[in-house]
Formats: sequence, C-alpha cells, structure tokens
Amino acid sequence: MHTLHRQHRREILWMVGPAVLTLIVFSLYPLIYSIALSATDSQLARPFREFVAFKNYTDAARDALFGNSLVLTFIYAFGVTAIETIIGFGLALLLNRESGPTRFARTLGLLPFITPPVAIAAIWRLIYDPSSGMLNHYLVRAGILEQNVAFLGIPGLAMASVMLVDIWQWTPFVFLLSLAVLASLPHEPYEAAAVDGANGWQQFIHITLPMCLPGLLVIAILRLIGAMKVFDLVFMLTFGGPGSSTQVASFYIYKVAFQQFKTGYASAMTIIVIIVLSVLVTLLTALYRRAQAKYGP
Amino acid sequence: MKLNNRTLSMLGGALAAALTLSACAAPVAPGAVRQVEVTREVVVTATPEATTPKPFEGQSINVLTIQPHAVATRALAKWFEEETGARVQVLVVPYANVTEKAILDVTSGAGEYDVIEIWYPMLGKLVESGVLEDLTQWWEENKEALQFDDFVPSIADPYTLIDGKRWALPYDGDTHLLFYNRELLDKYGVKPPTTWAEYREACKTITEQGKSEGIYGCAIMGAKVPIILLSTFINRLQGYGASFFDADGKPTINSPEAVAALQELVDQLPYALPDPKAVAFDEALGGFTTGKVGMVEFWTDLGQMSDNPEQSKIIGKWGAVPMPKGEGPNAASRPALNAGFALGISTLAQNKPLAYEFLKFVGRPDINVRVNTIVGGLDPTRKSTFDAEPYRKHVTPELADAAKAALSGAFAWPTNAKWPEMQDVLTENVAEALAGTKTPQQALDDTQAKWLEILGK
Repeated sequence: MHTLHRQHRREILWMVGPAVLTLIVFSLYPLIYSIALSATDSQLARPFREFVAFKNYTDAARDALFGNSLVLTFIYAFGVTAIETIIGFGLALLLNRESGPTRFARTLGLLPFITPPVAIAAIWRLIYDPSSGMLNHYLVRAGILEQNVAFLGIPGLAMASVMLVDIWQWTPFVFLLSLAVLASLPHEPYEAAAVDGANGWQQFIHITLPMCLPGLLVIAILRLIGAMKVFDLVFMLTFGGPGSSTQVASFYIYKVAFQQFKTGYASAMTIIVIIVLSVLVTLLTALYRRAQAKYGP
Repeated sequence: MKLNNRTLSMLGGALAAALTLSACAAPVAPGAVRQVEVTREVVVTATPEATTPKPFEGQSINVLTIQPHAVATRALAKWFEEETGARVQVLVVPYANVTEKAILDVTSGAGEYDVIEIWYPMLGKLVESGVLEDLTQWWEENKEALQFDDFVPSIADPYTLIDGKRWALPYDGDTHLLFYNRELLDKYGVKPPTTWAEYREACKTITEQGKSEGIYGCAIMGAKVPIILLSTFINRLQGYGASFFDADGKPTINSPEAVAALQELVDQLPYALPDPKAVAFDEALGGFTTGKVGMVEFWTDLGQMSDNPEQSKIIGKWGAVPMPKGEGPNAASRPALNAGFALGISTLAQNKPLAYEFLKFVGRPDINVRVNTIVGGLDPTRKSTFDAEPYRKHVTPELADAAKAALSGAFAWPTNAKWPEMQDVLTENVAEALAGTKTPQQALDDTQAKWLEILGK
C-alpha cells in the first residue's frame, strides 16, 4: 500500500514536473530577472551595473512621457476592448444559426486574426496612404471628405486609426468566442419565457444578456490584456507619432530598452505596467465572479 | 463528417489566403526601416578563376548587415569567396535593430557575428559596450595598402574614430542632396532653391497650384524615426549654421540658429506632401519617382532609382542640387552625414583572421568602385570612386560630382556613447514641435535641459 502510494506520487511528479519546470523557466525566471534588473542602473551591454534600489521607479513616476504612454495605453485598451466586445457579440447574435452563409461568414471571420500583425499593419498602411490610399479615395468619392486626409499624421486621428486596425483584427476573435458562449446557453429558460409570452427583445434583455455576461467578461479580460500589450501595430504604423500621440507604454519601453539601451529603467517601467495590469485583471476577475454567481449555471 | 470536411477546407482556404496576403505584404516597409526597394537586376561579374590555391578554402565567417545593404553585402561575399575560397554568410536584419543585435550577440556570449555593420552615430555606444575589436593596429599596418587618405575626409574619422582609436572601416558614405523634378519646376515657374526660404516658397507655389491634381511642391520626411526625422531636421540645422555642442562640449541645441531651423521646418509642413509627420522613406520615394512631388531631400542613390524604368516615371527629368542654406550670419550650404555605415569586427568573432581579411578586401579601392556600380544600396566612401569612370557612367557624371561635393565638408552627427539616448530625446521633441504640441523654442529648450542632465553638466 505504501509502495503504491509512493509510486503514485512519483507518477504525479513526472506528469506535473515538466509543466512546473516550463513555468519556472519561461515565466518566473524572466520576471525575477526583470525585477532584479529594475533595481540596477543596467545598460543592454552591461546588466546589473550598479544597484540603485528604487531610483528607476521614482524616475518612472516623474517621467511625463511614461505617464502619457500609460494614459494612452488605457485609452487604447479600453476603447478597442469595448468596441470589439460590442461588435463581436452583436455579430454572434446575428449569425448564431446553422446555414451555409453563416458558416462561410464564420470561416471568413477567422482571416484577420490568423494573419500576422506585421502583414495587417503593412496592408493598412497602404489603405491609409494620404495620396493613393483606398480609404481616402472612397471617402472623398462619397463626399464624406472634401480632400485627402493623412490618417496617421494627425495626432487625434492617428490613435483612432491604429485602434480601427486593432478592431478589424480582433473583432472576429470576440465573435467566435461569443458564438461559443451563445451555443452553451440552455434552452429551458427560453421555452419558459416563450410560454410566458416574452418577445425576442425581452428574452435578450432578461435571459441572453445576463447569462452571457460571465462569458463576455472573460472575453473582455482576454482582449484587455492583449490590447494593453499592443506594440506591433504602433511600431509598423506610426512609430509612436505624430508627436507622442500613439506612444503606448509597450512601445515607449521598447524605445528606452533598445534605442537608449537603458534596460534597468525599461525593466522598472515593465514591472509598473505588470502591477497595473494585475490590479486591473484582479478587479475584472472579481466582477466576473460576481456575475458568475448571479447569472451563471 | 461532411460538414467537418467542408469547414476544414474553408479553414484551409482562409489560411492559404492569409499566408498569401502576408507573403505579398512582407516587403512593404515599416516606418522604422529604410527599405528602398531596388528592382533592377543585379549583375555580379565573376572574377576569373585564380591560378594559385585559394588561401582560405574551407573557412567561413558571418557578416551582420542591414536590409538596405543586403544586395551589396551579398555581392561582396560572393566576390570574396571567389578570390579567397572562404565562405561568407550574410545575415540581414532591419536597420532599426542592427545595434541591439550586435550588443546582444556579445553580451549574451553567442558570438554569432564575425563582422558587424555599424550605423556610425552608434559607434561610441558599441565601443563602450565592448562589442568592437580595436582596429588601430590593423589600420597602422594596412594604411598604405588601404590608402586611408583616399577615404573622404569628412567621413573617415567620424565613421571610425573614438577616443583616438580606430574601430571600423567606412562602408557606406551617406549624405543628402536636394533632388528636384525638372519638369514640374519648369511647369510651375520655379527654380531649384538655394535657401530654405526659397525652398518653402517654391514648395508653396507648386502645391497651391497643383494640389487639386495631386501634385505637391515637396515631400518632407517627418515620420518619428530618428534616422528619418533627425536627417530632415539636421539638414536645416546645418543650413542655419547651428551645431550640437560648443567648443567646450556643452550642448547648444537651443541656440537661436537651431530654433530658427526648426521653425523653418515647421513653417514648411503645410505645403508638403500630406502629412509630413507620417511620411517616411517609401512615401517620399514613391511621391518623387511617380512625378507627384517637386522636391525631396534624399540620399544620393535616389538618382539611380529615378532612372530605373521599373520604378520611375521621371527618367531623365530630374536634377540634384546641394542642400539649401538658411539665414543669418552662420548660414551655409552644409550637408549633414545622414545615415552612413561602417564595418567592424566583433570581439567575439569566431574567425578573426578571416574577418580582418574580409575588411581588407572590402576596403580596397577597386572593390569600392565595383560595389558602387551595382544597385546595392551603398554610396562611395572613397574620393577615387567618385572620379572612377565606371561609377560616373553608372550614376551620371552630374550626380557623381554633386555627391562628391556634398560629402566633402559634410557635418557628422555625434558619435559619443551617450548619443543614442540624446538622439531619442531630440527625436521626441522635434516630433512634438511638428505635431504642434510644443513650440520650436520649447521643444529645443526641453532637449537642451535633458541633454545637460544626460551629460551630467
């Protein structure tokens, strides 16, 4: 009996061990390394040069560009998450039925988010081109614009333009997950509501939406985490400009680490972003738990 | 089952379409990278078979190069292999990442690269980081063979010298000329400008009359990438006679001349190809070679591209003049060494003797002529190349003379170890001025303050 127990423990160790080791190597080690780096005056070529304790953190707190990049990151992340969730869920409601066209639409919907972001940004750079871009051509032709506009060259518009690309890329992801959420809903409440004479709108407001809420919150959390880390689109489309109007946190950190080579300072900013993101995710997870407790199965 | 198969085939189709799209889009340039697409076929002439045994047969080195120089570096690798028997593997990275790649290669201990391409303003940083082998002794030993005095004086030291020691070999002699579309300037009755004020007026005249037909007087590269935005700003900075530092090494970036230069740049923006803040290499290049733009300040190899029938509609219709000058007592037509690259040897090079041999080969005067007569992304670094008949024939004698004149006496960007950080601060503030979120005075005052802090002054 005792031998069996030991053998069982060994099996568990063999099964769990690789996962734990992977977690340590790929997640914990870089995190600990970054935390250690953030307490030093490190350069790319000279890591752990001089211990400076919290100096990098106090510098970051005083750095107006970093503060601005955090604000822009929030605007970007919350903006695209909200819009993608609304459109994605809306599309899922519309196409939540089995037919040829809807199956085709679902397959087509996969296209943007399986395409590499670099390719997407390159395509949208051409679409936004102020001289020969497709968007200007059609907007001018439709009479919406009087003359061509440099979508990526005007401070307020540049951020909206980058967000539009993100929305185009990730709404299908939200759409597909929303379809899965809708597919998991039980039929009984709808049958009961129909017996009680509830119309489609009432069923949506009182049954579909509340029951989908926990699932939608999970989708929103996933997208929010992804959007907070946006880098590729900014790198390819605007390089943080015009001015610093699209300089989100990840891009600013990249510049400090790989253009100024100040890896210690970049690590401190990274840790701050991780802390902010963790707090945010914790709050949203608490919200999810409440929704799950109230409306979940 | 049938449904699954259909769905799977649809997924497969979507995936194939996505991959095709990405493959098609891959060469399109990111704003960060100078990607000048050269479509002319490269003719690499084979060297006649050597009769003596090849000295480095069976040996190999890795060379780190930037994407715009991939064609030239590969051609050099091929010629070197034909001559010595050694194999040269060319590893290509985007321009924006070349310095970090070199530093990481050494600090991580990987030692993948033997020869490293260097953007010369990063030279001090690379030396401080321990990435580069000290070439002082090698230069002393090969000074005559490599005819050091034949290198264009304005680039020889900035590209190679830090703290009295030499660390590199000049590779790509970059500077700007003001290119113009002769046909457009004639049509709108303007002459190639000699001052920045004339440039602004010429640009305004053409844009105001031609805008409805999609014609603009000038393209100004103002995208927020250091090599792009600072080249544009420094062209004006030099024209107004401003400099980065005074004789004591104290920053002077907010001098009246520098502020006037930035103000002039801001004043030019409304008349340029929209929107200058998003215009990088491709947009400027495309606008000029398609005949939609009257003037553009660009690297000297634009001449070759403008005469390339596969990418240009202005063959034989263009000209080039030196950069305009500003106003005030210090004003001068003084070009800046925008971009510009050198080759160095990694301290972790696996085959240092062969790496030195490769540098010696690349540095030869005849090789400098040869590599500059293919469309490979390089510009001459030697005085003799500008005078060499094959080169003059290749780029036209006019352009060869204009490029030579521009390079001689050109103003170098700083190369000290703090420059990467200082450059980023300047880029940030000039971008703010262009976006209108700071006045030119405010932007340069902020830069000055930050530079003093960085330099500890």
